[in-house]
Amino acid sequence: MTARPLVSVFSLTGDKTGEVTLPMVMTSPLRPDLIQFVHTNMNKNKRQAYAVNIHASKKVVAQSWGTGRAVARIPRVGGGGTSRSGQGAFGNMCRGGRMYNPSKTWRRWTRKTNLKQKQQAVASALAASAVPSLVMARGHLIDQVPELPLVLENALEESTTKTSAAKTILQAVGALADVEKAAESKQIRCGKGKMRNRRYTLRRGPLVIYKSKEGGVEQAFRNLPGVELCCVDRLNLLQLAPGGHMGRFILWSQAAVEALDKMYGSEVGQKRLPVSCLTNADIARIINSDEVQSIVKPVKPGQFDFAPKRNAVKNTDALEVLDPYAAAKRRQQAELEAARATKKDELRLKKREERQARRAQHKEEGQAFFAKVSAQGDVCADGFKIE
Amino acid sequence: MQSDDMIWQVLNHQFCSFKTTIGKALSDKQHFCRHPYSVTGLCNRTSCPLANSKYATLREEDGRVSLCIKTVERAHSPKNMWEKIYLSRNYSKALAQIDEHLQYFPKILIHRNKQRLTKIHQYLIRMRKIELKVRSGRKAKLVGVHRKVEQREERRERKALVAAKIESVLEKELTERLAKGAYGDIYNFPESPYQKALQTAEDKQEETEALSDEEEEDEMESMVEYVEDLDSEEEIEDEEDMEDMADYLGDGQWGDRHDNSDEHGDEDDDDGDDNDDDKDEDSASRKSDYDNLDERKRTAAQNKRNNRKKGPRIEIEYEEEREDQIQPSSSA
Repeated sequence: MTARPLVSVFSLTGDKTGEVTLPMVMTSPLRPDLIQFVHTNMNKNKRQAYAVNIHASKKVVAQSWGTGRAVARIPRVGGGGTSRSGQGAFGNMCRGGRMYNPSKTWRRWTRKTNLKQKQQAVASALAASAVPSLVMARGHLIDQVPELPLVLENALEESTTKTSAAKTILQAVGALADVEKAAESKQIRCGKGKMRNRRYTLRRGPLVIYKSKEGGVEQAFRNLPGVELCCVDRLNLLQLAPGGHMGRFILWSQAAVEALDKMYGSEVGQKRLPVSCLTNADIARIINSDEVQSIVKPVKPGQFDFAPKRNAVKNTDALEVLDPYAAAKRRQQAELEAARATKKDELRLKKREERQARRAQHKEEGQAFFAKVSAQGDVCADGFKIE
Repeated sequence: MQSDDMIWQVLNHQFCSFKTTIGKALSDKQHFCRHPYSVTGLCNRTSCPLANSKYATLREEDGRVSLCIKTVERAHSPKNMWEKIYLSRNYSKALAQIDEHLQYFPKILIHRNKQRLTKIHQYLIRMRKIELKVRSGRKAKLVGVHRKVEQREERRERKALVAAKIESVLEKELTERLAKGAYGDIYNFPESPYQKALQTAEDKQEETEALSDEEEEDEMESMVEYVEDLDSEEEIEDEEDMEDMADYLGDGQWGDRHDNSDEHGDEDDDDGDDNDDDKDEDSASRKSDYDNLDERKRTAAQNKRNNRKKGPRIEIEYEEEREDQIQPSSSA
């Protein structure tokens, strides 16, 4: 990438104040595999050792009774007088025995990762943070952010001391949605972690990267839920790609962005920039470009363009090719159905009319009978005779 | 600066917070996209609003449909990424508007947007109808999903599919057709099954030949006699138990054991009425008696007559010469 675009710098009230060139790091190749690898390794480095007691279950004098006693051959506690005597000991299957393969403190807790790998992973993560799609896909709410990468003027780190001021800055820049999302997501952790000083879980919000913390940035932003702070000189992959997924939402200060250009380069003391094997990864574009198409041989004539297969179960024309009898049968059935359908409607109407006529007739008869009978007077007086 | 392909690689293989799946088995899995600006709801290379820098969707808010367009020039600015154009409320006019605004977009995208517009209009109409119904007094009908019922039905479907044994039934049918010769002569068959099939066909042919030989012998020996029961003289001779042979012999005619020794295999129709009556009586008890028969005693000839029995009633004349007629009953 030779021509590097300009990134706008925003004031603390959200208006565009200036411009910076995009740092070279932000154009490094995206390497999700590398980031995942380095992340899994780096994640193990803060672990504290745990192990079972070295004497666990060993403080027993136990010997196997051997064969011939009609019991299993596991070592059993000697002596007498307690219920413990005669019980099995020393096995992972025994109650009060040691566990299988007792955990040791000299387990390899940390992982070494090659320096180059770590540096390239960080570079890739920084590049990913400049792609809005990736940041959105990671789950940050950045719909109101005016530009990515989001760079704020130096006053961010120089003169922001109060958290309330920090909040208004984030609001002005459209980053508060992410912070609020983190705030809403605070839950008590599931599992035993809650009694081990890890009581709450929280989503990650924006990462604020500054050059110098003299102005009090840290104090201003650190209490906001989800917000993390980082100095440019010590970028941490665990913050840039939490969970091994790249695309953290980052808020830069102008000084920090400018420092990035000085940090990465090919001179002595600078961090190496990863080199991609493809400078232009848009393969479709390359194939369709003029340079390639002008050399490509013309299409071979007489190539068969096969029509898509038609399903004989659904398509009667396709069935005809396979089994004309069945196709004719199906068509005939379809016609019959159609005829039946129309006929059905007619029949229904006709039946309805007949029914209604009958009903009307019955009603008439009934009424006539009633009239006659009422004229007659008391029908049941004389033994129910109707004249 | 990063191409769409790269972005799609990352989203598809790594993580996208908008992707959801339905279906537990790997074969049934379907991926959906929960992004509010997705045209289709599916998670595809071409339908991903994040992985395509040139994209267009339709969004409906409060009954107003707006066309949202995303272009490369604004891809870096999330706030201004989507250009919102309100479309006409008239369906055909809206279609024309889509054509106009998405003039230089890929045809698939235009098509999808039009489909989405159609769907939106359809559901808006439906919503209005329901609202009118509700206002006229009839409450909107909400049908719930019974998870237990659905799962039960699903389970039963799967079991029925297994129980149907579709493949084995198909195989039987096809081999039957093949045996009958419905497919002509020349085919590419795998070697060993073909040989096996040939073997069985040959065995069957030998059987029928043996049968016809037997029948010829029978006919030679037998005399001209009009007797009630037919067929299976020899078998009846062998039969010990009267009860076993009681009802049924040959074509449902009463068999008189003692007279059977000299009878021939052909059927006579002179006792037409008797035959009919007997047949009616015998059909019920036929099966059970036949089951009692000793397997040994039942020869191939008898089996053959069984099969023939199912056909129409045949009128056969007894003739002296029988070498010509191998299957006398086949003439009808």
